[in-house]
Amino acid sequence: MNIPAARHPNLYASKLSAELRLSLVLLLGLAALPLFITSPYWLGVLIVSMYFAMLSTGWNLLAGYTGQFSLAPAAFAMLGGYTTGLLAFHWNIPLWLGLPLSFIIPGLIGLVLGRIVLRLSGAYLALTTLSFAEIARLIVYNSIDFTRGDQGLNVPALLDSRVGYYYLFLVALAASLALTWAVLRHPAGRFLQAIRDDELGAAARGIRVVHYKTLAFFVSCAICGFAGGLYGTFARLVSPELGLIAQTGIVIAMVVIGGMGTLVGPLIGALLVYIVSEWLRDVGGIQMIVFAALVIIFARFFREGLWGLARRSRLLRPRTDNGSS
Amino acid sequence: MLALDLFVNGLIIGLFYALMAVGLTMVFGILKVVNFAHGEFYMVGAYTYTLVSLKLGIPPWVALPLAALAGAGIGWLTERLLMRPLYAGYSSWGLMKDEYAVVVTFGLSLLLINLFDKVIGPYPMRGPSLSSVTRMSVGPFMMSGQKIITAIIAVILLIALALFIKRSLWGRWVQAVAQNRFGASIAGIDTARASSIIFMASGVLAAIAGALLAPVINAAPDVGIFPAVKSYVIVVIGGMGSVPGSILAALLLGVLESFGAVYLSYDYRDTYGLVLLILILLFRPQGLFGERTREV
Repeated sequence: MNIPAARHPNLYASKLSAELRLSLVLLLGLAALPLFITSPYWLGVLIVSMYFAMLSTGWNLLAGYTGQFSLAPAAFAMLGGYTTGLLAFHWNIPLWLGLPLSFIIPGLIGLVLGRIVLRLSGAYLALTTLSFAEIARLIVYNSIDFTRGDQGLNVPALLDSRVGYYYLFLVALAASLALTWAVLRHPAGRFLQAIRDDELGAAARGIRVVHYKTLAFFVSCAICGFAGGLYGTFARLVSPELGLIAQTGIVIAMVVIGGMGTLVGPLIGALLVYIVSEWLRDVGGIQMIVFAALVIIFARFFREGLWGLARRSRLLRPRTDNGSS
Repeated sequence: MLALDLFVNGLIIGLFYALMAVGLTMVFGILKVVNFAHGEFYMVGAYTYTLVSLKLGIPPWVALPLAALAGAGIGWLTERLLMRPLYAGYSSWGLMKDEYAVVVTFGLSLLLINLFDKVIGPYPMRGPSLSSVTRMSVGPFMMSGQKIITAIIAVILLIALALFIKRSLWGRWVQAVAQNRFGASIAGIDTARASSIIFMASGVLAAIAGALLAPVINAAPDVGIFPAVKSYVIVVIGGMGSVPGSILAALLLGVLESFGAVYLSYDYRDTYGLVLLILILLFRPQGLFGERTREV
């Protein structure tokens, strides 16, 4: 009478595929949205929310799955934006080359950062990555000759139409999710979670901790950088404000509200937070107050986020039927 | 002569940094978490001082203790509402402790910044000076009265704090809890109250720092970010949890920045401490004055 072991809903593989299915549904929904929404303003809102969804997905791989609580995702988005921007501005390097580089260069910087903070954990890791983020922002802000400082740097546009950008971001978001899913599906995904849960224990089991931690830093920072590169060409401007700590705060808010350490959580969180925040902006500019309060409430009382809550309420019935968990 | 001048100025800035950093390091000492809303305690102090003296016409010397009171209040609330789950009844959390603390204090920081931005407005407000003397000579140096008063108050507060921790009963509780929370609770010490005391003390110090600096750095919703980042650097350099270490590191950073701004580059003065921080973490993770923690 037992549920076959391989299909038990609490199994990691079943959880992951359920999350993947929901992600696909959400992405398909997003793909259909331009049929109904034609206002350029709301398309812009959706594009920016997809930008944040990419940042959240990248950060969640590092913080949610690997337990490396970095406070630099926004800084890597800024670095990605400046990679494409500076290459185009100083050396006329076209975007088809600049955009892939905005994936690779921030990824490599993240790899170096990951090596630096290898021995650190918890509060020390958070402080070091925060300092890194601030150094990066201050350097960009002050190197006026090279980056034009807080005036911002103009970036050439890739496309003319807003709908085109919409689908470009959608494809990029789907690609980031696919990349994250591939990492998680691979044994590497379980290794990362083993490192999160018990680093010493993982090392004792023969998991190459250094190797996989650096991998997580590379993938996560590369996704954030690429998101920043795309955002730069969409906004046609990059500025040091992309790397503000408050931006990192928004990313953390999205992931915590959506559900940390789940594939679909950051996606739900980012779309919901950003779209609702646009609506709250009309109500009276209280969006950040509401979300900061929500982050505290979720972290304090609903630590699994929205996706965790939804999952639990769905799982409640089969559990009571079986009489065991 | 310039060198000596820079040195003294650096020390005064360092004293102000110390006010911020000591509170942060004590919180780390007792709870082993970093309070990312520490800068907002500073902001609350700056606003209380400025608003009370400007809008209600209360003299600055009375507004200063009121700011301290506000700091104590916000510190107490933070501990009571958000930090208590770290050690009361959630022992199974273990792994997620650091993450919870970062998320919650980061959220609190965002909440306070945006709440003040909405309620009071984003425009910077200049607080009144405690002294009307703009320039006076102290020995060979020329300084503003406000700067001298800031330095004196900072020194008095730091000495008072050291005496409180070393001599008073509550201070000894705090020391015991910082050394070993579990052991302290077995010895009958109210560990929850010790945490409350430390959060209130850290709120008071940060709020007074904000009030003292309000005439120089105008009160604004995001004014706390800058001193907070400085104090993160300082507590790591000084060794997390070490009060004398963080005071020394604060003075060191103040002098370093003061010299660096003149001899290296003014624009990049805020990055020196951060670079120093990363170097220290790489080569001496326990900080300059911290002890290596021993875990069994």
